[in-house]
Amino acid sequence: MAYSEKVIDHYENPRNVGKLDAEDPHVGTGMVGAPACGDVMRLQIKVSDEGIIEDAKFKTYGCGSAIASSSLATEWMKGKTLDEAAQIKNTTIAEELALPPVKIHCSVLAEDAIKAAVQDYKQKNGLA
Amino acid sequence: MGRPCHFALFELQPAFTVDLQQLAARYRELARAVHPDRFADAGEREQRLALQRAAELNEAYQVLKSAPRRAHYLLGLQGHELPMEATVQDPQFLLQQMELREELESLHETADLAGVAAFKQRLKAAQLHLEEQFAHCWQDAAQRDMAERLMRRMQFLDKLAREVRQLEERLDD
Repeated sequence: MAYSEKVIDHYENPRNVGKLDAEDPHVGTGMVGAPACGDVMRLQIKVSDEGIIEDAKFKTYGCGSAIASSSLATEWMKGKTLDEAAQIKNTTIAEELALPPVKIHCSVLAEDAIKAAVQDYKQKNGLA
Repeated sequence: MGRPCHFALFELQPAFTVDLQQLAARYRELARAVHPDRFADAGEREQRLALQRAAELNEAYQVLKSAPRRAHYLLGLQGHELPMEATVQDPQFLLQQMELREELESLHETADLAGVAAFKQRLKAAQLHLEEQFAHCWQDAAQRDMAERLMRRMQFLDKLAREVRQLEERLDD
């Protein structure tokens, strides 16, 4: 199966790979997995006092599409408010990366990771 | 016509614990009986039925011999149809999965064959432990969520075991 140029670009030059301190109250961590593919995705956000996502990092074990989906998600989240970030849809990610139908689940996983990270931050800070 | 139960094809009662050697032997025996060669002189309808039966048998065998697929199938039989793929939020387990994958990556980089063998043993032990846990709880309606979670964990470890095998093959070359 051929990957789109955008997937290859994110796969070869992933943005924002890394880790934030999960204990930091400004940090929200989303940890999700897709059991049949074996994909594991960790997505973290650092939120300013004004409620803006000022940094985002990810680490993904999985196929090129899963890596590209999470890489793109971190790019898109930066500078957004929590609610704006939670609006990011898997379909938009899949469209941007031109994912084939069998890889749509990778974009779903990225959306779920975003939501989990936002939820974790809100819970930690008594906002949920 | 509904699809026959995978267990019934093998004349087994639905159960998680399966004797894999017996299953393999029974599969060979049943597959011989519907082998296309035996129907070379039969009519078109018989040939088609034999082919269909061979396909059903093969599908059933693939499901029954794999612990996670067998677990998935059993939960489905209990009226708890689950998609094959789903997003799982099981933080501690996922963290462990990530660490195991990091470990496997470094074993790959250092081409550490003995390390891979040890890794494989630990993985096998973890798989057996999950299977025991699942066997105990899958029929208990009160432990439905637990059974589903264990089945998902089995899927992860099954995929990891496949990656270990691929790594072994690469290191062997």
